[in-house]
Amino acid sequence: MLIEIAHFLTILSTGLFFLCFIFSFLLSSNDTNVINLVSKTYSHSFLLFVLSFLIYIYLAVNDDFRVLYIAQHSNINLPIFYKISSIWSAHEGSMFLWIVFLTIWGAVYNFFTSNNQPLKAKTIGVISLTSVGFLLFLLLTSNPFEIILPIPPENGADINPVLQDPLLAIHPPMLYMGYVGFVIAFGQSIAFLVEGKSEIKWEKQVRFWSLIAWSFLTLGIALGSWWAYYELGWGGYWFWDPVENVALMPWLAATAFIHSLSVSSKSSILRIWTLLLSILVFSLSLFGAFIVRSGIIDSVHSFANDPERGLYLLAFIGFLVITSLLLFSYRFSILVSNKRIISLSKESFISINNILFGTLIFSTMLGVMYPLIYEFIYNQKISVGAPFYNAIFVPITLLACIFMYFSIDSKWQQKLKIDLFKNPSIISSVMAIMVVIFVKYKFLISDFWTLASIFIGMMIITRYIFVIFDYLVLKKFTNIYSITAHIGLGLLIIAIGLNNDLSKERALNIQINDSDFYNNYEFTFDNMKLVSGPNYDSVIADFIVKDKAGNEFMLSPEKRKYFVRGQITTETAIHVTPFKDIYMTIGDQLDDGSWIVNIQFNYFIRWIWFSAILMIISGIFLAYSLSRKRS
Amino acid sequence: MTFLLRALILGLTLLFFTFFYLYINEDKYYPGADFQTSDMPKFELYDLYSEKVINQDNLDGTFLINVWASWCITCRVEHGFLVNLSNQNIPIIGLNYKDEKENAIEWIERFGDPYKFIIHDLKGELALDLGVTGAPETFLVSNGTLIAHYRGEVNDMIWKDVFMPIIKKEGLFKND
Repeated sequence: MLIEIAHFLTILSTGLFFLCFIFSFLLSSNDTNVINLVSKTYSHSFLLFVLSFLIYIYLAVNDDFRVLYIAQHSNINLPIFYKISSIWSAHEGSMFLWIVFLTIWGAVYNFFTSNNQPLKAKTIGVISLTSVGFLLFLLLTSNPFEIILPIPPENGADINPVLQDPLLAIHPPMLYMGYVGFVIAFGQSIAFLVEGKSEIKWEKQVRFWSLIAWSFLTLGIALGSWWAYYELGWGGYWFWDPVENVALMPWLAATAFIHSLSVSSKSSILRIWTLLLSILVFSLSLFGAFIVRSGIIDSVHSFANDPERGLYLLAFIGFLVITSLLLFSYRFSILVSNKRIISLSKESFISINNILFGTLIFSTMLGVMYPLIYEFIYNQKISVGAPFYNAIFVPITLLACIFMYFSIDSKWQQKLKIDLFKNPSIISSVMAIMVVIFVKYKFLISDFWTLASIFIGMMIITRYIFVIFDYLVLKKFTNIYSITAHIGLGLLIIAIGLNNDLSKERALNIQINDSDFYNNYEFTFDNMKLVSGPNYDSVIADFIVKDKAGNEFMLSPEKRKYFVRGQITTETAIHVTPFKDIYMTIGDQLDDGSWIVNIQFNYFIRWIWFSAILMIISGIFLAYSLSRKRS
Repeated sequence: MTFLLRALILGLTLLFFTFFYLYINEDKYYPGADFQTSDMPKFELYDLYSEKVINQDNLDGTFLINVWASWCITCRVEHGFLVNLSNQNIPIIGLNYKDEKENAIEWIERFGDPYKFIIHDLKGELALDLGVTGAPETFLVSNGTLIAHYRGEVNDMIWKDVFMPIIKKEGLFKND
């Protein structure tokens, strides 16, 4: 009975969301009564929908295997935590969660925005319309409420073992939260275009929401990267997997967007960019959903495929994107600013970087699309891999970092005075050069791009140290969160450069009780044991690792075979030190009884995630400080 | 200039969506489908009910092999469609995959039997030779040659888009 109620509530809320859209667009939105009506309708509809999701969670926790989806993805023996996370382990349920998040953003916006806000009604209207589109998608093509008749299975199936990991249970929700968070920026820019009054300052409102959404998106990507590293056993932080790419594109667009916003919320300059970017960010998020859920691309992330779903999503996303671009094109004149961008001002650097970010997005899109176009025309499968992306990303990112470096000294609407000798830039450059020379001889690095990224990263970090000094000692006003975020960027490019250059791996072929040397470490194969877990059998290899100084530690990589699906997974063993990870996985046993083990030394990999954390925290604090300033 | 810019943005977007529309509507869109032909592997397994030995010589003509198991929920979803197919006189041979005999028999009693006979592959030997990665999977076999393989649930749409084109092309099931 409960499942029918949940199903019904979802249908009901779809109808109410649609009403909400109708009210906000057909009635005059300057009337306070109308705004109240829209706001109330939205919150009621939201509550019904969330109730439906809560019932669904209750059903999953209580193993109601009458529900087809729960029966297919959960099992009676799973811990309760995974019973809940099994909801988003496959297409239908994760789409359900995706829409829940979409409506949560709308509800939070609705709750915290006063009814005097001129764009509120239409913004909620756009959010409602988007929700209706996806709710219909859920109900018509991927219904999670479907029931198995006549007799439900007793034990259920099982969640994919790769997904039985606490990190994975939270990685998709974070990513979805970031993806759909840009619906508010999108809604506001559409509302702004529909209203067509250039004096409305929508940018100020949007900044807060976009920073929060950006932080979630960054967190989702960082968690995904970490998960691939330690659970999938991929042994790195980024693989240019198509689905990583479709998450990276909205992130790049969102990064350009929040920078562009900081310009156009001060003056009307760059409005065209900001508006176009707000549409682009959300479109790319939706494009990501389309790519993953239509099954077009084979990847660890793809869901079971169904062309009908792809077609529906394509039609709905196409409708949203093309309508918004037509609107944008129609209202082009209200976006044009008569102010000119002064060369070498802060605005000029941000707009140059917008172009560079645009290039990165375009190239990534090209990398994702090229195999599809090739397959379409020549009927052959090819793949675009890391060399393509590295060739583009490395130089362009470094170039963008250089412009970012100059923007530190530049001022709004003023030409940058290049006065090298009175400026801390000279000191920061000297310090950066010293670090580069030190690193070059200490670690014997000769690769130009690695040294260039260390140099530029160090310039940014040391330059900001002066700014922090001014802020703390001379009490000079600065945006401290922007500084920490950009120090994060400096750390990120240094860490990536060093990781890329220093990391090494080797496959060892080793018998029990033998030992072998690699990279100044001695690896001794101590023991091999068979262990049974709650729903799997596993082989665990114990290795004693000894460094040059004689310190010992143990690494125990593992291989599991899960009962229900017979799937085999590798569990990595990682020894973490500040500057490097020692990372082991076991492969197969050979005929002579020896085992293949893979050993990797991953340098500075923790620093990559650390810098992401720095950016996330900065984003959240900056949003918080903006909301304080506003109220 | 601004007109050009607007036209360019809209034009590129339209092109983008048109491409994906065309891409989706191509037949080869089903990643689960595989049309590489190979010979039917040799095997010796037991019939699920009679425990009679079955080998490759017991299979002749054109038929489907459907890999299923009582623990496989998707097989249950697929089952109704298979019953329909068998009512249309399409011969289906069941390959019961890594399953306990009692469970499998109980399952068939409960949900109906669309199969001509069922091969009991407890250890997944034949399945391994066939290249099965899970259940359900379905093979189209004609005169000792595997001509189509589908990983995942077969339903009306998959039957129409994946199996029917090759059945028409090869002129199969005409005499049945």
